[in-house]
Amino acid sequence: MSTQLPELEVLTEYAVREHRSLWLDAWRRLKSSPTAMLGLVVVAIFLLSAVSAHFFWKYDPRTDLDYSSKLLAPNLISTAEKPVIHIFGTDKLGRDIFTRVVHGGWNSLRVGLVAVGISLTVGCLLGLFAGFFESFDMNFKEKLALMGALGLAIGLLPAWIARQWFQTLIFGALGVVSVFLEKKLARVRMRPVLFAAAGALLGGLSGLLVAPLVGLVCAFVGLLIGWLLNKPVNGKTFSSITMRLMDVLLSFPSYLLAIAIVAFLGPGLEKGMIAIGVVGIPVYARLARSAVLSVSQKEYVLASQSVGEGHGRILFKHVMPNILSPIIVQATMGLASAILSAAALGFLGLGAIPPEPEWGAMLGDSYKYLSSGAWWAVLFPGLAIVFSVLGFNLLGDGLRDALDPKMRAK
Amino acid sequence: MGKYILRRLISVIPTLIGVTLVIFLFQRLIPGDPAVAMLGEHASEDNVARIRQQLGLDRPAFLDRDALVEGNLPGFFDSQYVRYFNRLLHFDLGDSIHRRIPVAATLKERFPATLELALLSMFFALLIGIPVGIASASRRNSWLDGTTMIGSLLGVSIPIFWLGIMEIMLFSVFLRWLPSGSRLSPGVSITPITNLLLLDSLLTGNFAGFWDAFKHIIMPAVALATIPTAIITRMTRSSMLDVLQEDYIRTAEAKGLAERVVLYRHALKNAFLPVITIIGIQAGSLLAGAVLTETIFSWPGIGKWVYDSILGRDYPIVQGVTLLIAIIFLLVNLLVDVSYAVLDPRISYD
Repeated sequence: MSTQLPELEVLTEYAVREHRSLWLDAWRRLKSSPTAMLGLVVVAIFLLSAVSAHFFWKYDPRTDLDYSSKLLAPNLISTAEKPVIHIFGTDKLGRDIFTRVVHGGWNSLRVGLVAVGISLTVGCLLGLFAGFFESFDMNFKEKLALMGALGLAIGLLPAWIARQWFQTLIFGALGVVSVFLEKKLARVRMRPVLFAAAGALLGGLSGLLVAPLVGLVCAFVGLLIGWLLNKPVNGKTFSSITMRLMDVLLSFPSYLLAIAIVAFLGPGLEKGMIAIGVVGIPVYARLARSAVLSVSQKEYVLASQSVGEGHGRILFKHVMPNILSPIIVQATMGLASAILSAAALGFLGLGAIPPEPEWGAMLGDSYKYLSSGAWWAVLFPGLAIVFSVLGFNLLGDGLRDALDPKMRAK
Repeated sequence: MGKYILRRLISVIPTLIGVTLVIFLFQRLIPGDPAVAMLGEHASEDNVARIRQQLGLDRPAFLDRDALVEGNLPGFFDSQYVRYFNRLLHFDLGDSIHRRIPVAATLKERFPATLELALLSMFFALLIGIPVGIASASRRNSWLDGTTMIGSLLGVSIPIFWLGIMEIMLFSVFLRWLPSGSRLSPGVSITPITNLLLLDSLLTGNFAGFWDAFKHIIMPAVALATIPTAIITRMTRSSMLDVLQEDYIRTAEAKGLAERVVLYRHALKNAFLPVITIIGIQAGSLLAGAVLTETIFSWPGIGKWVYDSILGRDYPIVQGVTLLIAIIFLLVNLLVDVSYAVLDPRISYD
């Protein structure tokens, strides 16, 4: 017994090892990867320059023009011919490109943060609830809330048709009642008919107050709603409704959807942020849902459920912390793609409005002057996009390896 | 199997209706009146009202509840959305606001240009992405693998419109090797068969035409191919890495099979499913990415068209193209799902 099995050795080493938190562990792994550190440095440079330019370097794009120095090539030293140093050259209005590239960083940062913020918050909440209720049965209160809300929402249709807003309340109440009666009527075969009749009667009678035909249509709609509400719902209903909505959003290629949204909202940086944010929602919803589904099967979640912890506590205390790492990775990569999309919108003239300094818009402004050989006006804004996006991508890639050691072991 | 395909086809319908709803809602969200946009600011009120009626803009958006009060049931359903949907069923995408030509006709004329560009880009992406992905997976952590990983990250980080501009700068402005826009040089003509110029010129034996078309398409195709190439490479690599750990690969190696046979016959076949999914997703984004690429290279496809229409506020065109791309996207995804069933006998769909 003098030789230990190698597996045992690893185990003992693991057992006597000092305790380290997940995040510290992840940081150590991140530090050991040169590409991830390169990404971190690039991201840090980008953040520092963008933030400090915004707060400490006054720049007014509206007054910045100088026709005497149009389209000057970069010069690094001051000469008699060109006394002012423009390390990136100047553009068609004689503006210093370096200044505008640095200030453009602030706009890209803003778009990235707001857009990812929108898609992250909405997407994760949707995905979290969808995944959670798909794997756990809803309790009574949650069923009440879901059915009530469902009734209220579908009730809007007959209410709108008859111009009787109280009809939403009627169908909301019908949803609530169906939850209360679920156990009592569980064995009654006629239950669908019962509810359909109740819905038809409620909708039809209130509709009749307006006009006979309105009553008829409302009765028909009420019939369908009643039949729908009689079904004992569970979390799967909620999940499949949410995910179907996400499918519709996903059936547009993301670029195109963002372009279409901005085309209809009108150009502007803020609208671009909203468009890019909305387009990103399904990605996070799907990611969060699938992560929740796999975490929900873990022993610690089952354990906390069997000791009687509430759903909210399980969801936010046990499930949420354990799905954070894929979401952090996705958010980092998401920042990269948001910056790219914002630049694309700006390039097409649908993002930032000139003379606002924005990398994509600067490219869109200058590329028409390419034939005159003004390469510097398109090279530097483009490089700024490539470096900041690459930085976030490298960091996200490194974070994935660092936060998920199993992936790395492969 | 046939049953599964049918069920998948039917399940596309609600999503498609959702898509038409979203596109219809866009139209409603536009600030301003399309009738005024057609006639100009100074049109008389009578004329505007007439055009509004012609376009059906005087109808309610979804359902006419006032018609119900009057006891008119068919009138209840006579709404803008129902009319729009009805027109779609007849392949009528409406008329362009500015040129008054049916959108569908121009679409048919312009779509082959985009299709040709997208197909060639996808061809490049597969030609490079799959072999490089396999090579870098089989030599994990080598310099080749490292270069591939960094290269593929760089590929998804470069804005394609910037890459296009850089290509034009280098090859058209400085070196003067390649033309910077359009599909053919003036004076060159190719007999149309499929309207895919490369294919048509080969079919008719017109090699001068082929060379000219190729010189025009190569730059936009390369720009458009960067992102799919990068993503397909990464996906092939990681999928291959998964498979290469399997026991049957070790068995195959132990039998003394050549590395090439193990990689391509044993590993690739099993690693291919996730790659197909990614190819499907990329096919959709190629069509969308065409908006940027075509704008830079003045490529006469649907991408440049939709961009011009956005600027000109010609919404029927924007709606039509968006709808077409969404439908193609859905169908490609369907095809991907079905190909799963065909390629992997372990997956049953009954």
